[in-house]
Amino acid sequence: MPLSLLATLCVLTTQAPGALLTPRDSAFHALNRLAYGARPGEADSVAQFGVMKWIERQLDADHVSDSHLAEREREFKILDYDRGDLATRYRDAQRERQRMQREAAASGDSTRMRGARPMREFRELGGELQQLALVRAAVSERQLREVMVDFWTNHFNVFDGKGADRFLLPSYIEETIRPRALGRFEDLLIATAQSPAMLFYLDNAKSVAPGSVPPFPLAAMRRGGQGVGQMPTGINENYARELLELHTLGVDGGYTQQDIIAVARIFTGWSIEQPARGAGFVFRDWAHDRETKQVFGLTFHNDGKDEGIRLLKFLANEHATMHHVSAKLCARFVADAPPDGCVDAAVAAWQRTRGDMRAVLRAIFTSPDFWSAQAVRSKVKTPLEFVVSAVRAAGVEPDDTPRLAQLVGRLGQPLYQQAAPTGYGETEAHWVNSGALLARMNAAMMLAKECSSIPTIADHSQLVDLIDAKLLGATMSAHTRSVILDQLSDINDPEQARVMAVGLALGGPDFQKQ
Amino acid sequence: MTISRRVFVRSGGLALVSLGLDPLFLARAVFAAGRPTGRPSDRPTLVCLFQRGAVDGLNMIVPHGESAYYQERPRIAIPAGDVVDLDGHFGLHPSLAPLKELWDNKSLTAIHAIGSPDGTRSHFDAQDYMESGTPGVKSTGDGWMNRYCQHDREHADTPFRAVAFGPQLPRILAGSAPSLAIDDLQAFGLRVPQEAARDRLTRAFEELYAGGGAGTGLLASSSREGFEAVQMLKRADPTQYRPAAGVEYPQGRLGKTLLQIAQLIKADVGLEIAFADCSGWDTHVNQGSSDGQLAVRLRELGLALAAFNRDMGERMNNVVVLTMSEFGRTIRENGNSGTDHGHATAMLALGGPVNGGRVLGRWPGLAVEQRFEGRDVAVTTDFRDLFGEILARHLGATDLGTVFPGYTPTPSRFLGAIRG
Repeated sequence: MPLSLLATLCVLTTQAPGALLTPRDSAFHALNRLAYGARPGEADSVAQFGVMKWIERQLDADHVSDSHLAEREREFKILDYDRGDLATRYRDAQRERQRMQREAAASGDSTRMRGARPMREFRELGGELQQLALVRAAVSERQLREVMVDFWTNHFNVFDGKGADRFLLPSYIEETIRPRALGRFEDLLIATAQSPAMLFYLDNAKSVAPGSVPPFPLAAMRRGGQGVGQMPTGINENYARELLELHTLGVDGGYTQQDIIAVARIFTGWSIEQPARGAGFVFRDWAHDRETKQVFGLTFHNDGKDEGIRLLKFLANEHATMHHVSAKLCARFVADAPPDGCVDAAVAAWQRTRGDMRAVLRAIFTSPDFWSAQAVRSKVKTPLEFVVSAVRAAGVEPDDTPRLAQLVGRLGQPLYQQAAPTGYGETEAHWVNSGALLARMNAAMMLAKECSSIPTIADHSQLVDLIDAKLLGATMSAHTRSVILDQLSDINDPEQARVMAVGLALGGPDFQKQ
Repeated sequence: MTISRRVFVRSGGLALVSLGLDPLFLARAVFAAGRPTGRPSDRPTLVCLFQRGAVDGLNMIVPHGESAYYQERPRIAIPAGDVVDLDGHFGLHPSLAPLKELWDNKSLTAIHAIGSPDGTRSHFDAQDYMESGTPGVKSTGDGWMNRYCQHDREHADTPFRAVAFGPQLPRILAGSAPSLAIDDLQAFGLRVPQEAARDRLTRAFEELYAGGGAGTGLLASSSREGFEAVQMLKRADPTQYRPAAGVEYPQGRLGKTLLQIAQLIKADVGLEIAFADCSGWDTHVNQGSSDGQLAVRLRELGLALAAFNRDMGERMNNVVVLTMSEFGRTIRENGNSGTDHGHATAMLALGGPVNGGRVLGRWPGLAVEQRFEGRDVAVTTDFRDLFGEILARHLGATDLGTVFPGYTPTPSRFLGAIRG
């Protein structure tokens, strides 16, 4: 096995396998992909520490101390509420809004509804959740874990704007995704399947065996936010379809409409407890389809909730799943159209370890494809990656206001706001368009004013050298350098020159790539 | 696919490089050369307004000739005396009276009992299906308007081909074909208060991305399109725009948006598809009758559409405005003098190309046995048949099969909303 031998050698010698890259360039590349970009000086310190050793530390996130983030997290009151608290608050807010709607309508003044307080407070909590993600991405020392949290949140996408998901999302992020971001795929898959947020988002909560009758009043089935409190009357295929197409096998995974129906029947009864009881996962025995189901060569006799668990464990380690998810990981970490080599290495590691994500990621990071000249600086940053990497490079400490999160939204990637279950796209075609690029330039000029990592220097040439070293990891092109110097030529005020130069560097083409 | 399109569009410019022209001017020169020779004002434009929240089609286009309508809505029905009659059976909500003139000159039609074959009553799902153009299939990544732009490329030479007015690109325009989201036309471009400083910064960024600075891929072509758009808008100077004499748009977001759409069409920047949201239709409680909550929203809509029509003048000959909404509302009023989520609704189409003066679509009737699931107006026209007809007969789309995968609207199913 020459590949794994190479990988072992690399780890032992703490050298990156890229023959063309200097240790510093290797470190910068690793920081661009496993982290949200380098902070000033970080490429040097990682190179000194040894890039492969640094990667091992990132894979072993639990043993990386992260006290500054812990301190910052205390500012976010959303972390103090559990799902039950949020459910109660959400229900109260809805009732208050309905009361105000009635009053406004009675008085004939429809403008009075604007800015109704209870719902606004709830929207602010949503903004807080977004900003918390930004702060974590920017300041955490466990960078790879934050990158993987973003990857899985997107892979198992849930839309914050769909009714009850407004209050189910925080626990989805905190309790379902985050603890399992570097764990076993199977565990994460089962956790998402049982998460109230996913059960609501893809409608499995209201999927029942046809003809099944609840043993308690219909009111118990009502859920907030969707207008009609109708009793479900049959199976809903949405979760089953997306489970196969997006979460596991992939669109070409070789399943049929009959398979989707069988899977949906297996998951009948997987639902959500009433908000007053905490809105947690519940298996409703009365709603479960007791007939025998056959799918993927497996037979499921009436076995309640265990049918679903057995199916998820099967799907998690199917070859199509391993390939589909590995290719997505490689598109994220290696290249928009990843070479077969790194994907095959990831699949092999998955097979060997039954889906231990640390092993799968290690296989990708030790693959020659990861370090190849074609991969380095080949990917355009997503809006989230652009904003967070700019913040890190410029030494801006993100605050607890929704400001930076709103900026990511203006650039086209509002967090938790992707309505389609596909999540956001990963490739440059999704992110590069003319309006979005102009928005990035505006964002760069705004962030430049707050940049603390570049001092004012009278000499323009020295200033641009410093910006190249600290912000761009010495990747500034000769073209960029000459355009910036040309722009500075008639600016005498050193502060003005500093802001202009930093803004152009962050908004220019070099910084859009990673 | 996107890249090859752009390379194709600008391939005429590659020869000029060897002549040593300034690349910044080159981009403009190619752009100018690439424009069709026909008068830009002859280009058809489609303006879509999405009434998010599910408009009550029955109180917008009132079936006043149907007794069941009055029986089911004792508190919120529009009294027959208030309805602006259209054809003896249907009539406009009195708030839409400003549009009667367009009905009379045959440039306004209403399509009733239109909607999705999918029965969902979730706003989220139904809007998603109406925008993806694939009812029942959630995983479609792009929107149908974008797919149209991917496959019919005659207008691919302008950054303003497809524009959504709002802070973000909506689902309906998401996809690989370039489209712009413009929150405010006057603030598009780099945000620097003084014009001289703004021009200078724009020029600086333009140079950074030009001359190989951004390589040869999407970063290079998209940035070039962005700066072209900025330059085109600067020449069109939206801050100086005045609507046609005597035209006044109503206060509020919708009026402002339609004014900016009119501005962009008149600036001849190649706008083919404009899209905007218009919200506030989810009338569960006290929706009102001839007056009240819904009446206020419809008044703004009617005034804004009428103002747009007058402002556009002769140019309405090449414009179709279409309203759409994810579903309709219950036939029977609820306990709060409102209506709940239903099924079919009504849409409006207006403009010179519209075959107006008639209510289109087969009317299913409101009797209990004629309803969808015993409670809602049944869908007799799949929304894709109307959207498909407008794309084909107004914009000249040639491949509806790729715009609406899994469903191909055929002329036999077209309603005749657009003049043949």
